[in-house]
Amino acid sequence: MSNQTRFQAFLSEAGELSRFAARFFAQCFRPRYEVSEFIRQCYIIGYQSLPLVGLTGFIMGLVLTLQLRPSMVDYGVESQLPAIVGIAIVREIGPVITALIFAGKIGSSIGAELGSMKVTEQIDAMEVSGTNPFKYLVVTRVMAAVCMLPILSVLSDAISLYGAYLGVNVRGATSFHLFWVEVIDSLAFNDVLPAFIKTFFFGFAVGIIGCFKGYNSKKGTEGVGHSANSAVVLSSVVIFILDLLAVQITDLLGFN
Amino acid sequence: MTPSESVMKISHLYKSFGNNHVLIDFNFELYKGENVVVLGKSGSGKSVLIKCIIGLLKPDEGTIDVFDQCINDMDDTELDKIRAKVGFLFQSNALYDSMTVRENLEFPLRRHWIEVSQEEVNNMVMEALEDVGLAHTIDMMPIELSGGMRKRIALARTLILKPDIILYDEPTTGLDSITGSEIISLMIEIKKKYNTSSLIISHDMNCVRRASDRVVVLYDGTCYAAGTYAELQHHTDPKVKQFFEQEFKQ
Amino acid sequence: MAKQTFNNVRLGAFVLAGLTFIIVLLYLIGKNQHLFGSSFVLKVQLDNVQGLKSGNNVRYAGIDVGTVKKINILNDTTMQVEMVIDELVKPVIRKNAIVSIRTDGLVGNKVVEISSSKTPASPVEDGDVLSARKSIDTDEMLRTLSKTNNDLAIITEGLKTTIGKINNSTALWNLLNEEGIPNHLKKSAYNIHQATDKANRMIADLQSIVLGVKNGKGSLGAIVTDTALGQNLNAAVLKIKEVGDQADRLSQQISSAVKGIQKDIDQGPGTVNALLKDSAMANKLNRSLENIQKGTDGFNQNMEALKHNFFFRGYFRKLEKEKKKQAEQNQ
Ligand SMILES: Nc1ncnc2c1ncn2[C@@H]1O[C@H](COP(=O)(O)OP(=O)(O)O)[C@@H](O)[C@H]1O
Ligand SMILES: [Mg+2]
Repeated sequence: MSNQTRFQAFLSEAGELSRFAARFFAQCFRPRYEVSEFIRQCYIIGYQSLPLVGLTGFIMGLVLTLQLRPSMVDYGVESQLPAIVGIAIVREIGPVITALIFAGKIGSSIGAELGSMKVTEQIDAMEVSGTNPFKYLVVTRVMAAVCMLPILSVLSDAISLYGAYLGVNVRGATSFHLFWVEVIDSLAFNDVLPAFIKTFFFGFAVGIIGCFKGYNSKKGTEGVGHSANSAVVLSSVVIFILDLLAVQITDLLGFN
Repeated sequence: MTPSESVMKISHLYKSFGNNHVLIDFNFELYKGENVVVLGKSGSGKSVLIKCIIGLLKPDEGTIDVFDQCINDMDDTELDKIRAKVGFLFQSNALYDSMTVRENLEFPLRRHWIEVSQEEVNNMVMEALEDVGLAHTIDMMPIELSGGMRKRIALARTLILKPDIILYDEPTTGLDSITGSEIISLMIEIKKKYNTSSLIISHDMNCVRRASDRVVVLYDGTCYAAGTYAELQHHTDPKVKQFFEQEFKQ
Repeated sequence: MAKQTFNNVRLGAFVLAGLTFIIVLLYLIGKNQHLFGSSFVLKVQLDNVQGLKSGNNVRYAGIDVGTVKKINILNDTTMQVEMVIDELVKPVIRKNAIVSIRTDGLVGNKVVEISSSKTPASPVEDGDVLSARKSIDTDEMLRTLSKTNNDLAIITEGLKTTIGKINNSTALWNLLNEEGIPNHLKKSAYNIHQATDKANRMIADLQSIVLGVKNGKGSLGAIVTDTALGQNLNAAVLKIKEVGDQADRLSQQISSAVKGIQKDIDQGPGTVNALLKDSAMANKLNRSLENIQKGTDGFNQNMEALKHNFFFRGYFRKLEKEKKKQAEQNQ
């Protein structure tokens, strides 16, 4: 494929994705609302991702603390460890790691699920059965991803901080109360809120890209695999791009 | 049987995907209580035709009337009303593989008939499963069933709304000939029991011979030939003949 | 259906856990920043806020009691810092409390420190403007005073060695045991007398300076309110006193030595003279005295520096006037 056609393919993909997103917004606010399916998806997308997200969050908190400690000791600011770890987790590590794990788990599963539903005509079957498959499948999943990722990310923050607390206590002793007070002391609204808000966008990106890739899956099992794979890759990249945008926007607005 | 009342009428239907002109000026009429088989080669646009009828694809030109209502410019709610009366058996069955057999069957019921009691739903599910002889699979997942059983469950799901018209997309493709025969028998039985009109898409001559009241040959995007099985069997045109010759070879 | 509700319970628990955590977190941060609960506003005007930002902590006696709300520029030399303070400490902070900007730790954030002045005043009210300490002037004063302390320490050291040397001087004791050459003895005794006189004069000088500082404390109440400064002054005074005491002791010893020598002379033993020719001892004594002189000079210089200091200027002028008056009266 020549560079030009590849670039054109990229542009047309971007255009299609935008139209898909526009369709999502158009469908999102119009009845009928697939509430019970939305709740079912919340359960699958949110609750069932918690163990994985929790585990990675815990390990990240612990490892980050252990990795930072030597440098902090070198600079003689060991007592600042809870503060710096708290800020790192709440501002960046928590949201981004959670979103990436989420993209890996949910992006791929949505891509594969919708892809196989597409190639086995289940989506058509739904439409024939008096259901708007876009609403039933796409809107519910994207909304569930948008609503669940922030919650996952918050819980992951909490678990990460607990991991960090244990990490601080591997050498030296800090009571949980002191650790907590130091973390809270070091945090301000402009640490928590932009991080919290950006996870909504991460969730949207993962949901919409997974659905887009699955919904436009090519015929055949290869197409399904490709959908799942490219959903993960694209949503991971988009998460980083959004993260970059988020930090610049908060900077511009003076919340940094 | 003398077909009288028209339940579906397709006139001057055009459909193309880019430069691929799949349907070119296709005309067709389905009468109440008859089984029509549309015969065509793979890739000739049979599935495209049937999807235009149910509104899954929008035709480029031409009109499709179902129960004397033009479906071309219908909105979703009107279309859903028509769809509740038109069953569609997908080529790949399209069973929801995240749901049990019961949930698969309940799905169109709950979707089309919003106010229906759980008891009624249960009765209708059981009735449809008994029609296809698979009442014992009610709590199984589609993945646990064989190909023939899945086809029957898909048929049961199509039947559950008691449709007036059933569209079969290659009902015997991918099945061994014995299972295929069982499915054809089932189709005939159902037609007798519920007096439905059916449009059957197939290139399986066994199916054509046994199930058809009338045969339409789809070739080059148009209705190339039409008539009963017996009439077409002795057709002289080689394009029609090739379908019938193929059966004798088997 | 049972399965569905079970799912719902777990999902509900999951969502509530997440929401609870974020709300608690936000609440605690808000509480930390004194956004909730009743609070009041205090203001202070400074010429330099040293990089203070809104959100920085405000401390009273080392306790976080509020945050900086905003910083306004009133004019080219006056910045107004608005602080939100916890209502609870309102009765504790007095109207004459003094505000300064400090750094939290070596590399920490800026904090606004409200410290009480010891003099009585009524509690602050909402919107009060507190006065700021000119931190640069204070720094200068402290620097001067600590230099004074150092110099005084040197004086003390010098005096100590002198006394030590006199005590350990075998030459002097030998002299006392020697048979004397009486004609030189008188001269030597005279020398020692003079040295002692010199030492006495210096001690008197020192004492007058100490007195000045002591009195200064009373009349310069406004500046000396800073306890640190007060302590420094006290320490200085104590050290000067110590020097005085030691110098007293030294002169006593010297005079007793002289008495001993005179006794020797009276009784007639003869070798004292020879030993008094030994210039080593006299030199040592002189050097020590020079040290004392230097220390006193250093102290004088410091006092001179203090004279030029803004706060002390008035006081020193007053002193000078009084001196002049005395001189006139004497004439
Ligand atoms: N959604 C689509 N997009 C583009 N081309 C399509 C689409 N659906 C069908 N076609 C094309 O239309 C032609 C007819 O397909 P189809 O009706 O599925 O054949 P069959 O008669 O075997 O069912 C094929 O050439 C296929 O490539
Ligand atoms: Mg087909």
